[in-house]
Amino acid sequence: MSDTPAVSVNHLTKVFKGTLVKGAFRAVHDLSLTVKAGEVYGLIGPNGSGKSTTMKVILGLLKPTEGDTSIFGVPSTEVASRSDVGFLPENPYFYKHLNGRETLHFYGSLCGMRGAKLKERASEMLALTGLEDAATRRVGGYSKGMLQRLGLAQALIHEPRLLVLDEPTAGVDPAGSRKIRDLIIEFRSRGITVLVTSHLLEQMQEVCDRVGIMAHGRMVREGRLEDLIAVENQTEMVIENASPALLAQIDALVKAAGSDTRLLRSGHPRTTLERLFLEATNEAKKS
Amino acid sequence: MNRKLQALAVLLIFGVVKLPLEQHVTRDLRAHGMLQEPIRLGVGEDLGQAGIAASLGGLRGLAACIFQLRAHVEFTYVNWAKVDNLYKLVTRLQPRNSRYWEEAAWHMAYNAASYYLYNQELKPALRGQLYHDHVKRGVAILEEGLRFLPRNPRLWEKLAEVHAKRTYQFKDAGDAYWHSFQNGGLNYTERFAAYAYAQSNNPGSWQKGYAILKRLYDAKKATPGLIEYMKLLEEHLHIPAAQRIPEAAPVRQMPPPEEGPLR
Amino acid sequence: MSDATTSSAAAKTPKVRFSPQRVWTMAMATVTQLIRMKILAFLVLFCLLAVGAGFAFSVINPEQQLSLLKSVTLGALQIFSIVIGVVSTALLLPKDLEDRTLYTILSKPVPRFDYLLGKLIGVLMLIGGGLIVMDAILSLILWMRQSLLFDEAVNHLRMEKMDSAEAVTQMREIVARQGLTWNLHWAVWAIFLKATVVTTVALLLSSIASSTLFTIVITFCVTIIGHGEALIREFFFTPNLSGMTGRAAALLLAAICPDLAQFDIVDSVVNGEIVPWSAVLNMTSLAAIYVTVYMFITHLVFAEKEL
Ligand SMILES: Nc1ncnc2c1ncn2[C@@H]1O[C@H](COP(=O)(O)OP(=O)(O)OP(=O)(O)O)[C@@H](O)[C@H]1O
Ligand SMILES: [Mg+2]
Repeated sequence: MSDTPAVSVNHLTKVFKGTLVKGAFRAVHDLSLTVKAGEVYGLIGPNGSGKSTTMKVILGLLKPTEGDTSIFGVPSTEVASRSDVGFLPENPYFYKHLNGRETLHFYGSLCGMRGAKLKERASEMLALTGLEDAATRRVGGYSKGMLQRLGLAQALIHEPRLLVLDEPTAGVDPAGSRKIRDLIIEFRSRGITVLVTSHLLEQMQEVCDRVGIMAHGRMVREGRLEDLIAVENQTEMVIENASPALLAQIDALVKAAGSDTRLLRSGHPRTTLERLFLEATNEAKKS
Repeated sequence: MNRKLQALAVLLIFGVVKLPLEQHVTRDLRAHGMLQEPIRLGVGEDLGQAGIAASLGGLRGLAACIFQLRAHVEFTYVNWAKVDNLYKLVTRLQPRNSRYWEEAAWHMAYNAASYYLYNQELKPALRGQLYHDHVKRGVAILEEGLRFLPRNPRLWEKLAEVHAKRTYQFKDAGDAYWHSFQNGGLNYTERFAAYAYAQSNNPGSWQKGYAILKRLYDAKKATPGLIEYMKLLEEHLHIPAAQRIPEAAPVRQMPPPEEGPLR
Repeated sequence: MSDATTSSAAAKTPKVRFSPQRVWTMAMATVTQLIRMKILAFLVLFCLLAVGAGFAFSVINPEQQLSLLKSVTLGALQIFSIVIGVVSTALLLPKDLEDRTLYTILSKPVPRFDYLLGKLIGVLMLIGGGLIVMDAILSLILWMRQSLLFDEAVNHLRMEKMDSAEAVTQMREIVARQGLTWNLHWAVWAIFLKATVVTTVALLLSSIASSTLFTIVITFCVTIIGHGEALIREFFFTPNLSGMTGRAAALLLAAICPDLAQFDIVDSVVNGEIVPWSAVLNMTSLAAIYVTVYMFITHLVFAEKEL
């Protein structure tokens, strides 16, 4: 791995031009982020905070109003920057008259693949995403989760070094979403960089090396996941099969320790990323 | 926004630059008879909505066909005014199609004229008047068609036929047959020109007719009809006995049919 | 993130160039899509029409019947090719955008020009294929009808005892001239050229607007004005016909519309004129110029379009 970042976004601002009736809308405001090669970066934020917009700018689908973005050092404005990227848009859709396999062949040959290699790779991707049985069915008849999986297969077809996934688990059943998370973890082990958004924070917490939290088009928190969610002066204990007596003992011990040691709460552990998310985005709202 | 302005600029500049080129190509295509002249309407003529739409949509041929079929329907109802009007539209839309002129004239000079001539419900004077009017209309249609297609042998032949069989203007019939032959009409049009001249009452035309027949006779292309008219003209023109053709005329030598069209 | 590493990484990724293979992939996907949308059903309609026009109306004389068959079928060919070109182009681009299929395509290393060209070629291949099939059907019917009509006409002449060699020859000539000739195929080529230009206009418009209806309506307006462009142009080139504003308006209209009437050789072909090579060349090069410039403009707009 070279130290060229997989994705770099510098002071990106995106303003959607308004119509005569509606004014212009600033969807992303002075956003900077870097995704290092080989890591899994999670971008989270409430609805309408500009995550998808940022991804589209990175992929050259939208023009930045200010700032610039690049992929492996190649500016997004150049077609070549997309040679090594697989993109899964939110709610992906494909030519509904093609079947699953034909769809993968289509995207593969757009990337310059052909012949037996393409056929083999397409079958491999269908197997990977569990779509073998549906391979000869028209995409028009696919369910939401199947479309999502086909989107993932399509993004992977040309063995990209970077994956950009916009809500990959939306609409996928628990087993499928588990599978996708395992895949992401596997990609990381194979050195593939992943930029992913999701609203399912437990899932993000599980796969991401680093996260950025966006609100109202700005980055409000960014860093390594452990750093962000670790609260230095608190310790969390997770105990299995604890009897009420044991809990009472622990409580007594804490009280005995005196000074400012206190038992803040006990119970089942909560998703700390979620708490962080709510805090961070609320702060942004107030400011 | 900037790009859109650039695009608009390119569109306009190209648009202006292309005009002389288009002008040139159109002129060239018209010269080759590939494109039709724009429709020229006379005073008080109306193309109708369908006609206008068709002429703008490049479907003049199709519209003409449809009007022709409608005319055919009106023909079965013997509604002659309507037939005439519809054919007027047809020939406006497709002035370079000789068949339309031919058909329009045929309906007027033969069908309509005969219909009125034999219509028992009309007064005899009116019948004659209507007969003449429609024959005249047929002639007018053919003459108008010939302004668009002055070199069309079939139109000339049809005009000659109307003159020979309906108006009995034999000099005009002869001239028209002669034009037909000059423009590549079939062989008999040459003979027929002479026959028509022979039936006229104009010595100048007799002379022309005699010249044609003599030439054909000398080329051994005489037919029984030709001999007959030749003898008639010899009488009219008082040809000296020595130069007259013998009583027992040579029979025409027919070329074998394999030789192709008779020209 | 030093400059050196950035440029070395950039140098490793080769520049993506125009690729005929990619355009072909795009074109074939478009053709497959349109065929599976059952757009070729109109071919069946065309066959019915051609057979109808060929064998109905036996009341008219043989040559008029052949010319009617050609007028009706070539007219239908013209309408079909333009409607299919406009409607499918206007449908496909906004549909790709709406379905977000465009995102997945353009996030692959696909230059936007390749995408546009692929779409255009796909639609044109469909029109071209349809025209070839229809030309074949028309030729077949015309050929059958021609020999049938000739026999009929000769029989008729025989019954009236007018079957002299001259009359039969004349009949043969008339029927042959109205029947199947090479000119017919040139007429179909001209129809294809016209449909090509109109389709390119539709593509240009749909790259500006994202509404299908807008594209269809405006393209049909341009098509209609385009057929009258020759008149407008002549009006402009004839001095003293009108005031300044009139001429300026004429210039503007003539400039923004292609001259579609130049491809209207169908009527002349039906009338039995011979199509010279120069005419074919003229029309083809003019169409090529229109398509090149309009594609360039389309690319100008589409290259920067926000998706
Ligand atoms: N083409 C567009 N024109 C105008 N406004 C747009 C456009 N695309 C997005 N926006 C606006 O930009 C803002 C950010 O949208 P974006 O899709 O990036 O949000 P998001 O973070 O992906 O939200 P979600 O979590 O719901 O997917 C939204 O308020 C949206 O209305
Ligand atoms: Mg989104």
